[in-house]
Amino acid sequence: MGHSNSVRRHKSGRVLAALVLTAGLVGAACGGDDAKTATTDSAADTTVADTAAATTVPPPTTAAEEVPVPGGSMVFAVEPAPSNPWRPSEILCAASCHQVLRNIFDSLTLPNSDGSWSPYLAESVVPNDDFTEWTITAREGVTFHDGTAFDGAAIVDNLERARVGTVTQFPLQPITGVELVDPMTAKVTLNTSWVAFPFILTGQIGYMASPEWLAASDVDALLKTDPVGTGPFVSDSYADGESFLMSRNDTYWNDPYPYLDSLEFRFIPDALSRRDALKSGTVDVIHTTNGATIAEFREATDIGMFEVANQGETAYTLLHVTQEGSPLNDRRIRCALAYSRDQAAVNEVISAGVPQIAYGPFSPTQVGYLEHTGYPEAQDMAKAQELIAEYKAEFPGPISLALAATTDETNLTIAQFQQEWFLEAGIDEVTIDQLDQGAYVVTAALGNFQVFQFRNHGGFDLDMQYHFWHSSAAEIINPALPIALNFGRIKDATLDALLDENRASNDPVRKKEIAEEVNELFGTECYNMWESYTIWGIAHKLAVHGPTGFELPDGTTAVFGAGISGVVYPMTFWVEQ
Amino acid sequence: MQYVIRRIAQTIFVVVLVTLLTSVALRFLPGGTDVLVVLKTGPGASPEQARQVISDLGLDKPWYTQYFNWMHDFVVGDWGTTFQTNQSIATAVKRSLPISAYLMVYGQLLALSTAIPVAVWAAYRQNSRFDRLSTTSAFAMLSLPNYIVAPVLMFFFSVKQKWIPFPSTYSSLFDDPVAHFKAFVLPSVTIALPLFAGYMRLLRADMISTLQSEFITTARAKGVTTRNILFRHALRPSMFSLITATAVNVGALMGGVVIVEQFFLLNGMGRLTVESIFRREYPTVQYAVVVLALIYVFVNLMADMAYAWIDPRVRARRALS
Repeated sequence: MGHSNSVRRHKSGRVLAALVLTAGLVGAACGGDDAKTATTDSAADTTVADTAAATTVPPPTTAAEEVPVPGGSMVFAVEPAPSNPWRPSEILCAASCHQVLRNIFDSLTLPNSDGSWSPYLAESVVPNDDFTEWTITAREGVTFHDGTAFDGAAIVDNLERARVGTVTQFPLQPITGVELVDPMTAKVTLNTSWVAFPFILTGQIGYMASPEWLAASDVDALLKTDPVGTGPFVSDSYADGESFLMSRNDTYWNDPYPYLDSLEFRFIPDALSRRDALKSGTVDVIHTTNGATIAEFREATDIGMFEVANQGETAYTLLHVTQEGSPLNDRRIRCALAYSRDQAAVNEVISAGVPQIAYGPFSPTQVGYLEHTGYPEAQDMAKAQELIAEYKAEFPGPISLALAATTDETNLTIAQFQQEWFLEAGIDEVTIDQLDQGAYVVTAALGNFQVFQFRNHGGFDLDMQYHFWHSSAAEIINPALPIALNFGRIKDATLDALLDENRASNDPVRKKEIAEEVNELFGTECYNMWESYTIWGIAHKLAVHGPTGFELPDGTTAVFGAGISGVVYPMTFWVEQ
Repeated sequence: MQYVIRRIAQTIFVVVLVTLLTSVALRFLPGGTDVLVVLKTGPGASPEQARQVISDLGLDKPWYTQYFNWMHDFVVGDWGTTFQTNQSIATAVKRSLPISAYLMVYGQLLALSTAIPVAVWAAYRQNSRFDRLSTTSAFAMLSLPNYIVAPVLMFFFSVKQKWIPFPSTYSSLFDDPVAHFKAFVLPSVTIALPLFAGYMRLLRADMISTLQSEFITTARAKGVTTRNILFRHALRPSMFSLITATAVNVGALMGGVVIVEQFFLLNGMGRLTVESIFRREYPTVQYAVVVLALIYVFVNLMADMAYAWIDPRVRARRALS
């Protein structure tokens, strides 16, 4: 693949930063590029193959005349290191975290180019007739890096840990049991029909770690940072906040991968520093969602880049819509705020106009995407003032709002834009509370906010959003720590019904209709204020080749960047020697 | 001798005060212990887990017990692990401390080694073109904050010319001296520039005053060479202000290295402290602060000792007092 082939250009997405959670997990924290917005990201869910396939951007492929050269090393600069590394059931995982983890751990399933899922580390994942049971068979002959065998017991151990994991427990609430059927097979029992269940195994919940290592790290916490999986690379050393060194797994089951002898991830939180590190030649590859950087590298002749927007997440402003006494409980106020905003201005100032402006939660490659959702598409200050005046006539008194932002300057700029618009629209007092990133997602999970910048809702299927939007996900599981993943605490019977129907449905046509209805519901109810669709740029030296998808065991193709936005497969990379 | 004992006693008092305050700092965090529990366990802890965390951190004990336990752990090097990454705090500090130490030492050495000859010559040639040029340059350097200097240096030497790697990656001086100095050259220059300007102006003023002293006139009359007058007779008594500034600047440098380390992505104490604050790794912050405070106190103690070493008159005055 030549340079020209490796540069892909898209005109969608947008930059913000943040955390990404996998397969229905909550990513906490934030940190990223343009704006360090807190984020969660779903990584893949349900099928709906036809629609997704039509919109999925195919990965760059290695040109026929270029033969991968094994050997060499590569330095990949990524966003900040995660919290609680590196046990799959504990880690608070953002995009950079998945970028690292995917090299150490294989997931049971992976999203494929058909917009569906395929078994990967699992030999098979098979449902019963009503999708209330899933039988997972381990792939034969696979061993963990510590030499122990990957088998059914390992699947059970990992899934049981995920069921009580700090974040992973939330999407796994429907699971009532995980049992070993035979030495290579585990069975998952659910309390409901869950058609899209295998999608949740494409990410964090599906990462399989060595039970021996897990048990050892239960006793010695220091071992948690020396992960043991079945993946293409073996952990060498991890320095918190600095780098993660790994070397080739010579016995990797998916031959001929990996090509590289060694791989180093370097954690560089600041997007512009990552850009400069690549330009200075110190690192070989970076990932970024920074609009200005993407725009710059689109024109570069000495740097290659491909862009990823598959099933990506959306940058938006989250509203708490059921807080006692909050004006945001009223649709008129929420929509007034939406009408008061000039999204194009923010997009230009913050993201160099690179990403596509969003009017709903689903990006163009996701099922349920609509060009027009009913959400206010242009600034209409008069309409905003009219709605607020109407509300005040019914509920006299001053209206106050608190906007939360991280300490990042870009994030603060967005909040300042909003502050001015909201005041002009008729809100009497608007304050900005800056929170450090560590506290940001915890604050969201606790529901201690009114207006909150965020990024979330990537994935293949509406089901991936179930635990973010269903009213049951607004309930508190542990009263001692009143957190929930339905951050906005949305309680909408219509939305609940649609999500429940989608979860049990195996009809792609109906699922598409449901997702579109949900999109319109969000548009008309103004539950959130949408900003833009995230786009990831993977920029690299010209000597780096082969960022591509690869063939899965069932003959389909794994799509990089899909499922977990911006995450690629370094095992397919090779470098000129 | 009494003076030395008194200064050491004062230093011990400062150390106790600093360690006492930092050891009980966890008690006064916004959000209280609930935040610590969430950070330590993740957002799903049971009440039993929460109690365990409080107990592990010793927050269920009286403040004085906390202090003595904390001091014991500090002295024996059992600093525990970080909340979120389960890394040894002692290891993290041990990894970061040399980086900041090298940075501060190289910055100071670079500044002093250039400022002293320039200041001496500028004082000797007062109001000459060299003096005016160096004084004006110093003004310019003083007005350049390191957050301007760092990106400019980085852009030119790393991004454009690709002579110096970015980010700066630490290598041991003994394992790979070339890589070591490459990692520190730009950060050291960034730190040294404003220091050079300050030191140069300070020493120049003192040197001008000293050069007007009677003993210098006597030395000249006796035919002592200019070089000896400047560097053997005039420089030593002119260095009080410079030594004081150098010592005091250690404190300022600790702030400076935070910014410089962030710019060049050097994982030193400054970066460790700032990132630990953002990640609410409070025990790491506690230990980092104490280590930095101890360094500051120690350097200032050394500076006090140096006064007496440099000038016998100081020893005599202290003896009389």
